[in-house]
Amino acid sequence: MLAGLRLSAPAKADDIAERAKKLHFSSIVLDTHDDTTQRFFSKNYDLGKRNPDGHVDIPRMREGGMNAIFFSIWIDGRIMGPPAVQKALDQIDAVHENVIKYSKDLAFCRTAEEVRRAHAQGKIAALIGVEGGHMIGNDIRVLRMFGDLGVRYMTLSHFYNDEWADSSTDKPVHNGLTDFGKDIVREMNRQGIMVDISHVSDKTFYDALEVSKAPLIASHSSCRALCNHPRDMSDDMIKALAAKGGVIQINYERSFIDQAYKDASDKLSGGVVAQFDAITKSCGDDQECVTRKMTDAQKQLTEEGKLPHVSWEKIIDHIDHVVKLVGPDHVGLGSDFDGATMPDGMEDCSKLPRITEALMRKGYKDDDIRKILGGNLLRVMEQAEKVSRELQAQ
Amino acid sequence: MRIEMPRILLKTALCVATAGLLVAGVKSDDISARSKKLHFSSIVVDTHDDTTQRFLDGKFDIGARHDDGSIDVPRMREGGLDAIFFSIWIPSKVTGPEAVNRAIVQIEAVRGQVLKHPKELALATTSAEIRAAHKQGKIAALMGVEGGHMINSDLDVLRKFASLGVRYMTLTHSGNDEWADSSTDKPAHNGLTEFGKDVVREMNRLGVMVDISHVSDKTFYDALETSRAPMIASHSSCRSICDVPRNMTDQMMKDLAAKGGVVQINYHVGFLSQEFRDAEKANPEINKAIAQEVQKRCGDNEGCQLIEGDRLTREYVEQGKLPRVDFTKIIEHIDHAVKVAGVDHVGLGSDFDGANMPYGMEDATKLPKITDALLKRGFSEGDVKKILGENTLRVMAEVERVSRELSKQQQK
Repeated sequence: MLAGLRLSAPAKADDIAERAKKLHFSSIVLDTHDDTTQRFFSKNYDLGKRNPDGHVDIPRMREGGMNAIFFSIWIDGRIMGPPAVQKALDQIDAVHENVIKYSKDLAFCRTAEEVRRAHAQGKIAALIGVEGGHMIGNDIRVLRMFGDLGVRYMTLSHFYNDEWADSSTDKPVHNGLTDFGKDIVREMNRQGIMVDISHVSDKTFYDALEVSKAPLIASHSSCRALCNHPRDMSDDMIKALAAKGGVIQINYERSFIDQAYKDASDKLSGGVVAQFDAITKSCGDDQECVTRKMTDAQKQLTEEGKLPHVSWEKIIDHIDHVVKLVGPDHVGLGSDFDGATMPDGMEDCSKLPRITEALMRKGYKDDDIRKILGGNLLRVMEQAEKVSRELQAQ
Repeated sequence: MRIEMPRILLKTALCVATAGLLVAGVKSDDISARSKKLHFSSIVVDTHDDTTQRFLDGKFDIGARHDDGSIDVPRMREGGLDAIFFSIWIPSKVTGPEAVNRAIVQIEAVRGQVLKHPKELALATTSAEIRAAHKQGKIAALMGVEGGHMINSDLDVLRKFASLGVRYMTLTHSGNDEWADSSTDKPAHNGLTEFGKDVVREMNRLGVMVDISHVSDKTFYDALETSRAPMIASHSSCRSICDVPRNMTDQMMKDLAAKGGVVQINYHVGFLSQEFRDAEKANPEINKAIAQEVQKRCGDNEGCQLIEGDRLTREYVEQGKLPRVDFTKIIEHIDHAVKVAGVDHVGLGSDFDGANMPYGMEDATKLPKITDALLKRGFSEGDVKKILGENTLRVMAEVERVSRELSKQQQK
C-alpha cells in the first residue's frame, strides 16, 4: 500500500508530461516570426545542421516539434527604394534555396492547406513574412511580386516609419496609415497576404483594422498590460483585434515580456531603438551581425548582473493574459527566435514542448492548446485566403 | 486528266460565284485554304515582343483592338499567334537596384494583363503549359528578360525572375553589362566574364533559356561553350543577307544548331535588308531626325518611343527617302537559315512593337502569310510547323530536362 502510494504520486506527474509530449508532437506548432533568414547569408550557418549558437535549425526544430515557420524577410527600415526591394528579393531567394536544398525536411507553403499537407507528410512547413513595408519601395506592384513569390504576411512598418505607415518606435508623421497605406492594406487583402500590425503605432493599428477586410495578425508582439512597451499591444487593442477574428502571436523577447527587465534595459541603453542604432553603426551592411550583437550585448549585461534574469514562464503569463482577456481563439506563438534575446529556459526552439506542458498544467484543454500552438493562425490564414478569393472574383 | 477537268471547272465556278462574298474577308492578302488550315492548327510561337512597354501607362488594354502597334488579343487571334514572349526591357544605361525594380514592375505588368484576361491568356512557364493553353484555346503568355543588366550582378535576383515566370534572358542589350559584351558596344570583357559563365550555369539550373541575341560574337561562343542546354537567339536574323552585328553569321548559326539551338528570325527592316541598312548608314541625319521627333512626341515613355519610331520610319519610306522592304525578306532569311542550320533550328522572333516592320507584316494579323509563303516555297507542312513554333517548344523541353537534372544533383 505504502509503496504503492509512493509510486502513484510521481506517476501522476509523469502522466501530464507524457500527455503533453504526445499532444505537442502530434500538433501543428507554428511560429510566425523567425529572423533565421539573416543567418542564411553567413558562411558559418547551415540550416540543415545543429548549430552551436542561434535558436533555429532543422535538427532543433525536429527536437522541439516546431513544424511550421515563417522566415522573416528583414532589412533596416532606413534602407528604402529600389535597394530595399533588391535586398528583400535576395532574402526571399535565400529561403527558397534553402527549401530546395533541404527538400526532404522542408516544404514551401503558401496556404493553410499546404501547411496541413506538409505536416501530414512529416515535413516542416516553410513560409515567408516581410517585416516592414519599406521593402516594397513605395510601389504596390512590388507588393504584388512579393505575393507572387509566396510572401504570406507583411508587417506594415519596422522600427522606423515608412513612406505610408507610422511605427510604434518612431515619431508619428502620417497620423497612422496614409491613403496609399490604406490601398496597400486593400491590395494585401486581395493578394491573400496577411496584414501584420506588430511594430506599427497604435493609430496605424486602428487604421489597418478599419480598412482590412480580413482578420489581422500581430506576428510577434506581447501584452502591454504585463510589460509596458510600445512594441506590445494594450488590452483594448487585443480586444479589438480579436473582435475582428485576428490573433496575437506572443513574442519571447525579454524586454517585451518582463517589466523589470525592460526598465533596467531602458535605463542602461536608452531603449531598444537606441541600442539598435548604436549596433547598426558598428555592423554596417551585415544584418546578421546586428541581431547577433544585440543579443550578445544583452546576454552579457545579464551575466554581469546589470540586467535581471527573465524566466521562460513569462511567455506563459502573456499567453494566459490574452486567453483571459479574449478567449483561446486569438493567441499564438511568434517567438522572434534569432532576432531577440530569449528568456532563461527558452534558449532555442528545442525548448518549445515546455510551453505545451505548462499550458496543460494550467488546466488548458487539449483543443485549446492546439489552437494556441498553431490552429488559430491557420484559421486566420484560411480567412485571409477566403477574402482574397472573394475580392479576386469581383 | 478527263476526270480531273470537271472538278477543276467546278471549283472555278464555285470561286467565281462566291468571290463577291469572299473578297471582303480575304482583303488583299490572299492565303490559300491549305495554308490557313495549317497555320491555325499549328502552335505559333513568337519569342520577342516589346508590347510590355505599352502596359506601363496603365491605360493600354491588351484585350482591346488597337489601331497602332502590332500586338493585342484580337489581332493575335486573327493572326493565329498562340504563344508570345513578352519582353522585359529597360535601356542598358539603367543599372543597379533601379534596373531590378523596373524589371519587376514590367514582370508584374505582364502578370496583371494575364490576370485581367483569364479567358484569353494563360501564363505559361513550360512547353507543356504552352501546349495545354493551346488546347484550351488560350494564348500562352511568357516572359523573357532582354538584357543581363536587369539582375544587377545578383544571382538571387536572377532566381527570383525565374520564380516569377521568366523563361529566357538575353545576356546583354545594346550596351555591355557588368559581365558580358554586347555586339553593339566596345568589347570590355572579351566575351563572358567568369561571373557571366556562372550566370549561364545558373540559368541552366533554373530552366531559363540562354538568349544570345544582342551579344558579341565572342560572348556567343563563350555562352555556347558554357551552356549545358541548347540556346536561342530570340530575335536575330542572318548576317550573310544583311551585314549587321545584331545578326548571326552562317558559322554561328551552324554552331548554335549543332548544340540543338534555334535562331528566331527578327522582322526589323534594318536587320532584314542590306539596302535599307546601307540607306540608313548613308543618311545618318534621317535616324537623328527620327530620334529627335520621337523624343519630342514621347519623352521618356519607352512604349511610345518604340511605336512612334516605327511610324516615323514608315513616313520616310513613303517619301522615298528610305527603301521599302517587303515581308518576303523574312521568308528569305528563314529560307537561308534553314539551308545553313537545318529546318530544326529556325523560328520566329518578330520584335513586334519594338522595331520597324516590313510592308505586309505590320502586325500579328499578317502572320498566316509566312505559313503561306513557306508552303509556296515548297516547305513541307511538318517543316512549316517546326518553324512556326515546334522548334522553340523542343528547345524549351530540352532546357527543362537539363534543369531537372541539375536540380536533382543539388538536393539533400
